[in-house]
Amino acid sequence: MAVRPYWKGYLKLSLVTCPVQMMPATSESEKVRFHTLNRETHNRVVSHYVDAVTGKEVSDEDEVKGYQRGENDYVLLEDEELENVALDSTKTIDIDVFSPRNSIEWIWLDTPYYLSPNDPVGEEAFSVIRDAMAAEDMVGVSRLVISRRERAVMLEPRGKGIVLWTLRYGDEVRDEEAYFEGINDNKSDSEMMPLIQQFIKKKTRHWDSKLVSDPVQDKLLEIIEAKRKKTKRSAKAKGAEPKATPNNVINIMDALRKSVEAENRSGKR
Amino acid sequence: MVAARANWKGYIKFGEVACAVALYTAASSSERIAFNTLNRATGNRVRREFVDSETGDPVEREDQVKGYEIENGDFVVLEPEEIAAAVPESDKTLKIEAFVPCDEIDDVYFDKPYYLAPDRMGADAFRLLRDGMRQAKVAALARTVLFRRLRTVLIRPHGKGLIGTTLNFDYEVRSAKEAFEDIPAMKIEGEMLDLAKHIINTKKGSFDAKSFDDRYDAAVAELVKAKIEGKPLPKKKVSPPSKPSDLLQALRQSAGLKSSEKTKRPAAKSKSSAKEPKRAANSKRAA
Repeated sequence: MAVRPYWKGYLKLSLVTCPVQMMPATSESEKVRFHTLNRETHNRVVSHYVDAVTGKEVSDEDEVKGYQRGENDYVLLEDEELENVALDSTKTIDIDVFSPRNSIEWIWLDTPYYLSPNDPVGEEAFSVIRDAMAAEDMVGVSRLVISRRERAVMLEPRGKGIVLWTLRYGDEVRDEEAYFEGINDNKSDSEMMPLIQQFIKKKTRHWDSKLVSDPVQDKLLEIIEAKRKKTKRSAKAKGAEPKATPNNVINIMDALRKSVEAENRSGKR
Repeated sequence: MVAARANWKGYIKFGEVACAVALYTAASSSERIAFNTLNRATGNRVRREFVDSETGDPVEREDQVKGYEIENGDFVVLEPEEIAAAVPESDKTLKIEAFVPCDEIDDVYFDKPYYLAPDRMGADAFRLLRDGMRQAKVAALARTVLFRRLRTVLIRPHGKGLIGTTLNFDYEVRSAKEAFEDIPAMKIEGEMLDLAKHIINTKKGSFDAKSFDDRYDAAVAELVKAKIEGKPLPKKKVSPPSKPSDLLQALRQSAGLKSSEKTKRPAAKSKSSAKEPKRAANSKRAA
């Protein structure tokens, strides 16, 4: 794959080190993308930097990062200097803790990356770390500096590679109590449980990426095509489905029965 | 109680049953260290300006429109209303289209988590769905317009409530299989695997987000201080990669099987191991 690595560095387990590369697991490249145009001329609009005082354009090579130490007082920092910041976690993912695979709740997962060996010399060491985690059903926990922040990261074996997740900071996940405390502790009606189980069973599918297709993107392309042909814009997006109304307690049972019957009738796979 | 404001209100509908729910942001993003961009020549700050790529004239925001490139330099211009027309009208309903076994879900699709709680009426149906999914070990997939975008939402039980996680679309996620296809298939067995498993087990612990600290800002502040004082800036050194020929030896030493006086432990190591008792004390999270 000709994707330029997003990050290159080392994966380390105790005295075992191997060169690795990383790329984001998500990508914008297949998305319908728009450019910003000038309505008057239909030319592309580009952005550039101008000096806030003189108003003159600033070329790329004259742009430099400034660390603010007082009002209108900055210390200039070159990118190479920043790379030498005194943290091993800028270049090395040193796995210092391993946890059972399902011990880190999904809510902590922030952004996924794919991690793979960057040099044949490290392929065996990479495979050792990956296979040992898989054999023990463990994930690794480490630290890594990404986009000027040091993040907790989780490493999970996946096929021949490793998925690296950045984990959210402790203060980023809100306390669920504040949102769920109004829910009373009553058990749900045990009479309804068999029915809901039946309904769930009938509507259960295997995971498939088709479940996350995007009809809007297709629609957008249609709109663009229609406009390109200089025809009138296609008919307005179809109207909303009727609004659902909340059922009251008494008829949930009836509604569930109807739902199961409907599923039976539709003779699904 | 903190009266949290809902980010969205609507219904969850499964079959013929509907319940009113409110949706709340479950995780926010904290800011990273902000640098100002300066003009090296003058030391002044810079600001961004939008200009026409041909004429060089500034283009005001109201004169900026979106264009889709059909061929080189040829654009179809779309007004915001035209783009919005592609999004179906919101029916404020998370209609469950399917359930998926929890252990089959590909988490790489996860985008943002939201707490879902019953909104006034309909708490019975809410609890029924929650408990039913928990018992069946499934999560639900629903689609709705959230914040003016059509989103697929994965709904699953979480404590007394539900979490709805927005999912990325199929074309937004790279295939893991393709990403890893260049890695040679190498099955590690025998002593090497046993040693690595042993090392993993000596490093068993749990992740505690609350005790994790981002050291980056402090490290940059130190770098700046050194620069101001004219001290030499640190140079990065990394331990050399383990050569395949040394790999078994490195594993043995790591596992502590050989007396390893020559083994120099990197400084960061001792720091993190000093933290381990704290992590262990918090292992209740691991439940």
